[in-house]
Formats: sequence, structure tokens, C-alpha cells
Amino acid sequence: MFNPLIVSELMKLKHTKMYLLVLLGAFPANLVTLSAFLPKVTPDGAPAGIDLQDMFYRQGMTMTILAPFIFALMIGYIVSREYQERTINQLFAYPIPRVRILMAKLATALLLIAATSALSCVSTVATGIVASFSQSIDASALGEGIRMNALACLLSFGTVPLAAALSMVGKSVIPASVLGAFAALVTLIGEMGHGARGLLFPWLMPYWPVRELGQGLEQIDIAAYAWPGTIILAATFLISLVFCILYYKRSEIHSGS
Amino acid sequence: MTCILRTVGLTKRYGGKTVVDNVDMSIQAGDIYGFLGQNGAGKTTTLRMLTGLIHPSAGEIELFGTAMQWSKGKAMARVGSIIEYPGFYLNLNAAENLEIHRRMMGMGNKTCIDEALATVGLTDAKHQKVKNFSLGMKQRLGIARALLHRPELLLLDEPTNGLDPGGIKEMRQLFLDLARRRGITFLISSHLLGEVEQLASKIGIIHGGRLLEEIGSEDLRKKTRHCLALKVTDEQKAAFILEQRLRTTDYVVSGTGGLRLYAYVDRPEQVSAALAAGGVGVREMSVSGDSLEDYFLKLTGGEKFV
Repeated sequence: MFNPLIVSELMKLKHTKMYLLVLLGAFPANLVTLSAFLPKVTPDGAPAGIDLQDMFYRQGMTMTILAPFIFALMIGYIVSREYQERTINQLFAYPIPRVRILMAKLATALLLIAATSALSCVSTVATGIVASFSQSIDASALGEGIRMNALACLLSFGTVPLAAALSMVGKSVIPASVLGAFAALVTLIGEMGHGARGLLFPWLMPYWPVRELGQGLEQIDIAAYAWPGTIILAATFLISLVFCILYYKRSEIHSGS
Repeated sequence: MTCILRTVGLTKRYGGKTVVDNVDMSIQAGDIYGFLGQNGAGKTTTLRMLTGLIHPSAGEIELFGTAMQWSKGKAMARVGSIIEYPGFYLNLNAAENLEIHRRMMGMGNKTCIDEALATVGLTDAKHQKVKNFSLGMKQRLGIARALLHRPELLLLDEPTNGLDPGGIKEMRQLFLDLARRRGITFLISSHLLGEVEQLASKIGIIHGGRLLEEIGSEDLRKKTRHCLALKVTDEQKAAFILEQRLRTTDYVVSGTGGLRLYAYVDRPEQVSAALAAGGVGVREMSVSGDSLEDYFLKLTGGEKFV
């Protein structure tokens, strides 16, 4: 039963700017990773080759800074448009439990987040593949990079129900966008500061696998904050998800809702 | 006859204000139920409760013989609805909007989309984006969507809003056809007396949240029929004269000297002449009876209907 609901949710996004938003989220990360092609030399003066780990690190950093805003916009639009376009009357009159409708919306957001994350590392993966023809490439770096992206994508999803909750209550994409913009700003400051304590801010948790990948580069121990950060993120996810479920189940759709 | 929809004591309160008050409604299979009331009378709130969009404060809803709170899913699969305004995904075209509905209703066959569009005369607009639709076209598309899954009951809230007179006539004909050919039961809310009068086989009048009366359209017609109210010297003899000389039995003797004659309303002089010729004295004669509008105004306390 989930499948037709998710397909319907994806259909609703046809001819919208959602797919542009996915590209917009992925493009800067691709652009930043191309800086790996700038001329570089090793400390002994020899030209440095392509460093996949470094590329993934830059891509992950860029992606995790943009993610809070882009992903909040995505779920905000998916949830709030039903109220804005007054399709909520029909949506809630379907013989489908409201919780399933909500889950389909969240699953659609997860698919879009996964697509954005996947597209954000296209240039890194492509560079790795092309470079493998001319130099020896550390295959494990490629695997680590993909793992890092998968984990960051999953952790980014942790704050999505909170943005969804704001969109439901506000019946507009604006509250989620404001939250996303604020979270992105804090994430930017947190990442620039390289402070491990920032992981306690839920939107900075996706930065954890990025930093983990970059341990070889920076040697900063952030493990101490990983678990508390995970617990805070999990709590944020669960509390906001439960709120969304209860709100969807109990909300009444009045004129002008 | 099977009862399709029944409400018992249906009530909705907001804070201290009762918007729908103890409504007992009953709709039989094949009925076209006109739900008549002024703006703000509680029609839309009632329909929202019937579609599960808002929760009743008290009372029960029984759809297809089962209490709704236990079977909303199953019951709603047999119901089509337009509540207040037909909302659509404006970025999609008509067919795509109906395709979403088809998937949500779990229907397998895609041909139902073309059928529904053809039924409401929107075949040519199939690939047109809904954002370019007029309100009338959206209403039609809303009806197409409500019909798509072949419902047994259609709940339509002011379905002719935004339609021009020609469109209203077409829709009226469509509803009558659907009721007759497919056996669909309708609950149509409206604040337009004329619309309900021409469509409904049963009328529920709601005012101030209370269902004042449920009445069959035939009974209503009888109640609102014009007649000559007569006071005569001998009503038995008068009745005999009406039957023998004026050849009509369309009258009711209504007490001492009283008689209500439903024929000859526009020819009172013939009646008085016949009675006089038969030796019956006429003490009083007047045209009596309410128009449909007068009847509603009396029932609702005199506030004006549109």
C-alpha cells in the first residue's frame, strides 16, 4: 500500500521546482570537489595526485552545510502545499489512514535527500573512476566516501520530521525554511570552527561521518560527542515524528485550512 | 429501502458555540438528498464530519449500515466527495490529477480517467494544466474525480458554485442521470432553493446548526400548493357541487364550513358562480398557500434565502 502513495507523492512534484532544488543542493558540493584539480604539491615538492579522501571530505562538508536548508525546504513544500492548494480536503477523505499518508510524505523526502546526496558526489566518484586509469587510486577511499554519504544522508533525515511538524502547524513552507536557514547558518559556523561539541546540535550530526572520514587529515577526536549527539538527534527525530503523527491523526480540516 | 447514510444526534461544538446541533439525518439508497440552508447554517461542517475531516463532538454516523468510526476506510472507498472547494495540484494537468486519485483509491484500470472526464465534458481539457482552469472547469473536474472510483454515495458541497446557468443545468441533468442510470445516491448541499427544488427527491432543511425538517419533495410540493380557501354555508353540498358541476375531486374539507380547493385557483369566479347556482352561500374566498420560499422563511424564522 505504501508504494502507490509514494508514487503519488512523486507525481505531485512533476513540473515543480523540486527537482531543481535537488540539483541546487547537489551542485555546490560538486563544484567544491573540483578544487582538487588545482595544482598541488607534496611537502617534498612532487606534484600531488588526486586525493579521493580529500574530495569526499570537501564534498561532505559542503553538502552538510546546505542540507539543513535544502531538506527543510523539501519536506516543508511536500507537507504545506496540501494546505496551500487546498488539496488536504481530498487527501484526508481518502480511505487511507492519515499516518500512512504522512509516512509516504516522509519517505518521499528521504528519496529526495538520497538523490541529492548521491548527485552531490557524482563529480568525486567520476573523478575517481577517470583518475584510476592514470594513477593508482585507493579503492577503499571510494568505499569510505560512499559510506560517509549514506550515513550523512540518513542522519540528515533525522531533523526532517521537525521541519515537517512546523510546516503542518504553520500550513506554510516559511516556518520550515526559517528553521532550515537558521540551522544551516549554525552548521556553517560549527563546521568552520571544527569544534566537536557542535555535534550536539542535531543538524550538525551529519557532519560526524564527514569528520570521521577526515580524521586522517585533521586528527581531531570527536568520538566523545558522537553518542550524545546521536541520542539528541534520535530524540529530536522521535519526538517530532510522534508529534507529526498525532497532529495528522487528530487535526481537523476546516474552511481555509 | 436500504439506508445509506444515517446520523444520530450529530453535534459539533467549538468552544461554547454549537455549530451543528443534534442532527438526525437519514438518506436512503437512490435518494437525491438536498441539504438546504443559508450560508453558515452548518451544511459544510456536517459534510466535513461525514467525510471524516473533522471529528463530531457527539453523535454517530452510520455509513452503509456500519458505524463510521469503525469502518472509515471501507466506507469511504464507496463515497465520492467535493467539500467546499475542489482542490487540485495546479502544476499537473487534469488527467494527472485524476491519475493520483486513481492510485490513492487503488483502482487498477486507467480507462476510468477518460470515462470520468467524458462524463463531465472535459475530454478536450485532459492535458491542460489545472492552473489554467476556470472555477467552473475545476468544479467539473472535482465531480469527475468524485465519480472516478464509481462511488455509491456522492457528497457534494455546493457543487454548482462557479458554474454559469448553462453549466448548472448540465450538472443538474448529469446528477439526475447518474442517480437514474447508475443508482448513485446523492447528498447535495446548497443555499439555492431553486437548485434543490429541481433536483432533490428529499430535502433536509438546516438552520442555525439544527435540522429543522426532512421532507420528501412530493410532500413539500403538497405543503406549498396554492388553493382557494372557502368558507361556505354547507360544505357537504359544496363538495357535491364541485364534483358534479366543476368535475373536480381535488379538494379537502377542512372543518365547519371550510373547504380547500386546489383546482380552479386561477378561476375563482367559476367556483363562486357554481356554488351560488347550487344554492351554497360563499362567506369567504381567498387564495391561500405558501410559495416554497415562504415555507422556508416560516420554517427558518423569516430570514431571507437566496
